[in-house]
Amino acid sequence: MAKINTIAVSIAGAEASMVTARYAICLAKLLNAQLVVIYVVDTKALGDLLKSKVFVRLEAIDYERDLEEHGHRYLRRIEKMAEEKGVKAVSILSKGVVHDEVVNISKEKNADLLVIGELKEISSRRDIFYDEGERIFREAYCPVVVVKNKEMVNQLYKEL
Amino acid sequence: MKVSDYLTQEHCIMNLKSKTKEEAIKEIASLFSGSAEVTDLGGFIEDIFERENLGSTGIGQGVAIPHSRTKAVKNFVIAFGRSLEGIDFSALDGEKVNLIFLMGTSEEDLNLYLRLLAELSKLLMNSEFRKALTQAQSAKDVVEAIRRFEGYNK
Repeated sequence: MAKINTIAVSIAGAEASMVTARYAICLAKLLNAQLVVIYVVDTKALGDLLKSKVFVRLEAIDYERDLEEHGHRYLRRIEKMAEEKGVKAVSILSKGVVHDEVVNISKEKNADLLVIGELKEISSRRDIFYDEGERIFREAYCPVVVVKNKEMVNQLYKEL
Repeated sequence: MKVSDYLTQEHCIMNLKSKTKEEAIKEIASLFSGSAEVTDLGGFIEDIFERENLGSTGIGQGVAIPHSRTKAVKNFVIAFGRSLEGIDFSALDGEKVNLIFLMGTSEEDLNLYLRLLAELSKLLMNSEFRKALTQAQSAKDVVEAIRRFEGYNK
């Protein structure tokens, strides 16, 4: 019988990401699946800021290093949360264009499901094409779950 | 999240009194005096100056984006100041600066900060957007121009 073996989850390193991670852990536990946690250092944004001269090189290097540390910190936190719930988790920190990395890594890892955080409100056609969350949602090769309702997720996680 | 989600009319100065870069930064930052988001205004201003020492944030075309990631700020903040006469910001193109966006964030809010900085710098590359800010009659016009161009800047 077909089964969901691998669930990928994309986190952005903010507290809202922890809700996304909790839901992904719940799904992995309930489906007895492995979890792949993905954090991407947005080097595209850093490059754009350097190009537009808003950042000096030293500043961009500092940010990249801090974003990397930030990402590792969140990944460790989520690994620990998964472990506490008896879920096997693999963490991946990558660098580049966020949606490209998330889509490619989830494909490489043969994810059967991709979990992402709540999408922001669309206020223009441009958002549909340029928002990273929207692009992951549209370009992912596997089914995507968009996590909403923090209270419901937290309750589910607590009861797991 | 967009720049217009954060910039309010109360945080816009349409006619800066300042004549120098240092004065302008202080004048715009003073909009956060008493704000819950900026816990140490003096520290925030110092950190902005420290960043300016690495290289001017006067990016050319009459625009400057002084910014800092600092312990003095609790959450992302942004303010706008316009100088009709122009201010010497040691800008990259050597021209005076008329449009100044001052930004700050906490040590933690990195991803949001980067996205908003990148978003704003892209908006400011658009000459029509700069023109709208230059011709704005009020703070309300500034905020509306940002909203309008956020939909069409790419």
